[in-house]
Amino acid sequence: MTPYFHKEPVLTLEGVSMSYHGEIVLRDISAQVLNVVRPNMTQGQVVGFYGRSGIGKSVLCRIIAGLTPPATGTVRVGEEQRPVQAGDVGLVQQRYPLFNHRTLADNLLLAAARKHEPEAAKREVAAYLERFRLEQHGKKYPAQLSGGQRQRAAIAQQLLCSDHLILLDEPFSGLDVAMIDEVKKIILEVTTMDELNTVVIVSHDIATTTALSDTLWLMGYERDAAGQLLPGATISKDHQYDLAGMGLAWHPNVEAEPEFNRFVEMLKDEIRAA
Amino acid sequence: MPLEQQTHHLTFMKELFAPNAQPSRPVFATMVGAQLLVLVLLWVFYPLQLFPSLGQVLRALGDLITAQGLIQELWASMTTALQALAIGTVLALVISYLTALPFFRPIAYAATKMRYLTLTGLTFFMALLLSTGHQVKLSVLVFATTVYLVTGMTSVILTTTREEMDHARTLGLGEWRSFWEVVVLGKLDLMLEVVRQNFAIIWTMITLVETLYQSEGGIGLLLYKQNRYLHLDGVLAIQLVILATGALQDYVFVLLRRVFFPHSALTAAS
Repeated sequence: MTPYFHKEPVLTLEGVSMSYHGEIVLRDISAQVLNVVRPNMTQGQVVGFYGRSGIGKSVLCRIIAGLTPPATGTVRVGEEQRPVQAGDVGLVQQRYPLFNHRTLADNLLLAAARKHEPEAAKREVAAYLERFRLEQHGKKYPAQLSGGQRQRAAIAQQLLCSDHLILLDEPFSGLDVAMIDEVKKIILEVTTMDELNTVVIVSHDIATTTALSDTLWLMGYERDAAGQLLPGATISKDHQYDLAGMGLAWHPNVEAEPEFNRFVEMLKDEIRAA
Repeated sequence: MPLEQQTHHLTFMKELFAPNAQPSRPVFATMVGAQLLVLVLLWVFYPLQLFPSLGQVLRALGDLITAQGLIQELWASMTTALQALAIGTVLALVISYLTALPFFRPIAYAATKMRYLTLTGLTFFMALLLSTGHQVKLSVLVFATTVYLVTGMTSVILTTTREEMDHARTLGLGEWRSFWEVVVLGKLDLMLEVVRQNFAIIWTMITLVETLYQSEGGIGLLLYKQNRYLHLDGVLAIQLVILATGALQDYVFVLLRRVFFPHSALTAAS
């Protein structure tokens, strides 16, 4: 197993709850993502949040991204662990939005301009276009890009202006096998770009999310002492998995390993039982 | 006709009546040409002679151009129309964009409902407020244009999704900058389309307004005079000129959209 150790927190959710019109959607969610360090390796990490459809994953995404304040609780990000604000966390939404009225290079430039002076921003954009294999497409409009190019562009745009933390909301939803492989490849590329890069996947695809993640949290409903379902999705202490510690992370083609498949089956049983 | 050729023609015909079919450019052009030809033949050979004949209309057109200054009158109306459109567009854009602030939403709502106001009483109030006929004419046209444009523009703004705004916010653009990027710049092509669609309303209004304030002439006044003396050939000739001008205007707007917003056609096609 690759040796690793955890350092300072990069994302902390503390007692996060959310209600809409009196209906509790999320209840008392606490989770902490720590910076993972692997000696002699420049690699960030992937963190997975699994939840069934309609459980409130997108609400959680918006809260983590600082787009909606939670009803109670806090979200803190970065080395300083400051309360999150919109723009601190890159959020790539399900349909990989870009500004349709700007060319790809302009889309990236707009994001880069937040952190860099105009000349430096142009250099950053050129470097990202090359890194994401988009250098031939800088002058194209988003409508002229293929699905894969658009995904890479949307991720590059968010990376250019976020502080190493990037959130992907349902990145595999509605994609065929080849496209899922493409997204997986992009995610791994992002983690190798900088050892501080942390990709948070929020998804209902349990197998793919588990295969990519170093740490996994399962969102679900809890029952009270009488066996009644409590309102609002949460993450119980039993549903936090250190996949790296279990030897199920950082393997190429981990999905083909019997141990991985047994673990995914166990997770599915947990989900069904809830 | 050989069987193969007959089948070929049948396939073309089927294509023209199949839902959502995309006939090839030559087939479509032939179809439009045939429809025009039928229209002209109907006009020439229609036995009841409800309309003046094509020859009469062409003669009237020649007379209107040479003796009654049709081109000059058209130009006068066109400049007034463009002036009203420019002012109306700026006003409508300001009112529509201000809906971002809750304080201004009732104003935009009221503006959209003013489409239902009749202009007859309104011209009277405007005449009291303004000094010259031109000002009254222009303000009536601006009013009518603005209320129609605000309706179209606010509905364009309402198509903004949370996903679009969230995308801008996650880039740290802030609320006003996100609004600028998503709603103003992102939908400017659609705003131009709203302007194009509503330009026609000015031409329907201009006839009424030019007859109320006759000092400056205009094609509306010319039309009114032809109608008054039952010169139906002249009426038809002017209507056809207005129709052709409108079609040309539409084309110019499409051209402007293509030049200034090249992404627009791509998004529509995708």
